[in-house]
Amino acid sequence: MPITILPPKAFREPPRNLHHDSDDVMSDASSDSEDSDSQPGGVSLDSGETIHPRKRRSAATTSGSTFTKRPKTANITSSISVPRSAIVTPGERITTDPQWMRGHGTYLSSATLGEQAITSSLAGIVTRTNKLLSVRPLRARYTPEVGDLVVGRIVEVQAKRWRVDVGSTQLAALPLSAINLPGGILRKRTETDELQIRTFFAEGDLVVAEVQQLFQDGGAVLHTRSLKYGKLRNGVFMAVSGTGGGSGVVRSRRQVWTLESANNGGPIDVILGVNGYVWISKHVDPVIPEEAKNQQTGITNLEEVVSATMYSSQNDRIEPETMREIARIRGVVTALVENGLRVDEDMVTKGYNEAVEMALVSEGGPEDVYLGGERGEQLAAALTGRLA
Amino acid sequence: MASSQHVLLSPAELAYLHASLSLTPPIRPDGRSPTQFRPLVAETGILPGTNGSARICFADGTEAIVGVKAEVERTRTRHDFPSLDEGAEGDDDDLEDNQHDVVKGDNDWVEMTVEIPGYRDDDAGTVFLSAMLSEALLADGEFTKRLWINRRFHWKLYLDILLISPPLSYPLPLLSLTTHLALLATRLPRLKSEGDEDPLFDDDWAAAAYLYPRPAAKKGSKKTTSFATPTARPPVTLLVMAVGNNIIFDPSKEELAVADVALAVSVGESSNPSSSTAMDIETEETKGHHNLRILSVRTIDPPSRLTPPGIPNASNSAYGANAAGAKDTEKKKQQQEQARTAESEAVEGVWKAPRGGAKPLVLAALVQKVLEKGGVADEVLDALDGVDLN
Amino acid sequence: MPLDTSAYSLALLRVDGRRWNELRRIHAQIRTQAAADGSSYLEMGHTKVMCVVNGPSEPGPRRGGVATGGGGGGGGGQSKNAEVAVNIVIAGFSSVDRKRRGRGDKQVFELQSTISQALAASLHTHLFPHSTINISLHVLSQDGSLLAALINAATLACVDAGIPMTDYVAACTAGSTSTYAANDEGADPLLDMNHQEEQELPGLTVATLGDSDRVAVLVCESRVQVSRLEGMLAVGVDGCKQVREILDRVVREKGIKMIQEGTVERGVGLNDMELD
Repeated sequence: MPITILPPKAFREPPRNLHHDSDDVMSDASSDSEDSDSQPGGVSLDSGETIHPRKRRSAATTSGSTFTKRPKTANITSSISVPRSAIVTPGERITTDPQWMRGHGTYLSSATLGEQAITSSLAGIVTRTNKLLSVRPLRARYTPEVGDLVVGRIVEVQAKRWRVDVGSTQLAALPLSAINLPGGILRKRTETDELQIRTFFAEGDLVVAEVQQLFQDGGAVLHTRSLKYGKLRNGVFMAVSGTGGGSGVVRSRRQVWTLESANNGGPIDVILGVNGYVWISKHVDPVIPEEAKNQQTGITNLEEVVSATMYSSQNDRIEPETMREIARIRGVVTALVENGLRVDEDMVTKGYNEAVEMALVSEGGPEDVYLGGERGEQLAAALTGRLA
Repeated sequence: MASSQHVLLSPAELAYLHASLSLTPPIRPDGRSPTQFRPLVAETGILPGTNGSARICFADGTEAIVGVKAEVERTRTRHDFPSLDEGAEGDDDDLEDNQHDVVKGDNDWVEMTVEIPGYRDDDAGTVFLSAMLSEALLADGEFTKRLWINRRFHWKLYLDILLISPPLSYPLPLLSLTTHLALLATRLPRLKSEGDEDPLFDDDWAAAAYLYPRPAAKKGSKKTTSFATPTARPPVTLLVMAVGNNIIFDPSKEELAVADVALAVSVGESSNPSSSTAMDIETEETKGHHNLRILSVRTIDPPSRLTPPGIPNASNSAYGANAAGAKDTEKKKQQQEQARTAESEAVEGVWKAPRGGAKPLVLAALVQKVLEKGGVADEVLDALDGVDLN
Repeated sequence: MPLDTSAYSLALLRVDGRRWNELRRIHAQIRTQAAADGSSYLEMGHTKVMCVVNGPSEPGPRRGGVATGGGGGGGGGQSKNAEVAVNIVIAGFSSVDRKRRGRGDKQVFELQSTISQALAASLHTHLFPHSTINISLHVLSQDGSLLAALINAATLACVDAGIPMTDYVAACTAGSTSTYAANDEGADPLLDMNHQEEQELPGLTVATLGDSDRVAVLVCESRVQVSRLEGMLAVGVDGCKQVREILDRVVREKGIKMIQEGTVERGVGLNDMELD
């Protein structure tokens, strides 16, 4: 069957009668935001009082612990009941208590009587770290953090640095000084290196790197000064959503691991960039040439040998079996994302094993690696059933 | 845009993709079989204000909406035949149905626009897409005949094709399938007036006839159905590409980036097997299968030709041995020689953009594969038939 | 076609059976489009629009093709704030009489820049220097209050994309029951005008920032006595609050669904925090 056409999913009209607690949504018609985060974007309108009486909330000024109180009702009819307060939406006042500090996803708006209220600027869930309140969005682009392992694509080559797409709101920078030179040589970068910058990375090349530091404006600076990092080859790339929020790749114990594949596929490396960019490739053991073996193989020597292949853009020989299993893993990741599941080592490994079993019973046999459409849903169902 | 859409892939990725797609059978990155399409969600009749509409979403999120709107327009009288049939008009009415030269269509009766977000409507890529889609529709001259009302009036059909998502992959197959569905769902009000009077239509939408009469409910006015067999249907345009010895349907953006040749093949169902034009390639078997014929073929310039080549290790100055500094000059010389051969010859695992044009044999194979009895085009048409029209 | 406005004074019902202060049915969905950063679908009566948001993202070096819409020229460049680029496609089949609008259409251009400015005021664009937020809007069906529907859809899509903002920008239209020429002092204000009313009666589009009375957009393109304006504005602002409630409900329902499905883990409930 070359084509599957599915009927549209019926849209269910949300039950209307559930949400009559208009009080629930934040009140205070006259709040004037004057924080660092936002420019007041309009004129104040004064003639409206007769038509919509302002609901002033006195609770905020009287009691000491002043979280805005809301009726804890209105659960959505479902197997798991989640209170409406589980979600905050833009403009919703979180607290006026000065003991909290505002983090990401919030801003300060002035409440009545000059008090400052931490207000959400996103639709998401409230998290706190000690005294820091932040709102994690339901979904957003990846926001880099120092130490993140990311997969990125070079989009621009400049005089002394590369500009790398990491799926964030801004391009990341990879300075020439933050890469290893081939052969493990340690020296200052010269003009010759600058002229040869394209021989290391050119436009379109994929790199795996670590976020070294963040600029004031949120831009990330990457480095590849480790044998784990560098140019990627021998595999396929895919972009899913990153850790900004929602489904996709999540931060976990390991972002990089080697998976022993079934069907004679051999070992396969999986790199789940925290930014949602994924690289799946054949695992290649560093080849140590004869000359080097004869010499004393010290640690530095090994490093030298390994880093020699660092900037190659030539693929090694890859067996069809390996390619097939790589495609299967890619299918698993796609199925996870399309069905709203998280992507981490645990899920990918389980999903892969499940997919191998599914292929055994399918008509196509173990060579059938297709996991789109209904099969993806089947896979997801099998996984959630097992993990639940 | 689009066909020459710049895809930024590294040489190593391109080499891997090309290698895996050249295997027999090919291994596609998403595991599909060579003839398999991406699964899609389709619905019709989404816009009550139009004569016909459809929406298709692929699983990757690309989405298109097509709306068809018809307006009655006065047919421009031809000045080159002055008052040729003034007197005979009334008497010939009954004969008209059998005369080819009376029910005439004009390509001006169909207006098609393609909207792609982020691209101007006069962008070369958009214009090319719209030209390809309308070309397929108008190629056999049968379609515009359906718009004929009487000698003085005709329907003017406006097809508006909207791509909702950013163009993640070359949108041609998506737009074509959506247009196909929208046309299948298109209905025109039933004509109440007769002959060459000013047309008067039935207000009852339920009585409106399908532009492409359905075999099940074949009610429409005689005039519109007379020149089409009930199985007639709008064309579909399929995107086919060749890599190595493999023929691959509905390629994704990445796959298209390593294509040797890419073709847009428009296939229609020949309603009238006897009238074969020069372009016709009739399939012999008609029983149980669609009587397919080629309406148009266009080569798509695959982005693969613009990709940068990979550098073999031998000539890579940042590659270990070279960078570390080969000590003796003898060795260096040897390497330089190697590098020179590497530039002109293919090295395994190194990407090299395809050069030269498409070979006629390959093109023939691609077209043949599309038309194959019980093949992809057949099944696609069958599947589209199964979509609920409302 | 003249609208029989005299009927209103008899039954106090409008042509579509609504009272003066009633909104039409608003139906909205978010996350309708898997490929985009944010997306929404919104119906206000028979006005139907779709919105797709991409970004904020930094445009790479220009390599031809992608032209940002009217909201502003070129890429983000070195600007300190993200640029909000709005592109509106009005489908040819969206209105009763087909009318083709080119990209150069002045009316479309004005809609684009109005929406771009309104959103830029609420979105925290300073968090994304050098970036561009691409908002593309598709009009599938028109029946009045087009600008309002577009603003609401764009707001929803931006919320879906997780772009920080001060508050929702919610919009609706307000009109008056008699024409300018009638000079009727006792004319009632009307909320949420449909196409027929817009053709005939004076009206304005107003958008407010969330619950507050802060007006983000005010567009009035018809002649109306100043004395009536205040009433219309007040009704409009009140309508915006109702719209905000509806938009907020859509977002909450989606969020709660995501928690139930386990896509997003539950955060610290505010009430939990109160305990310690």
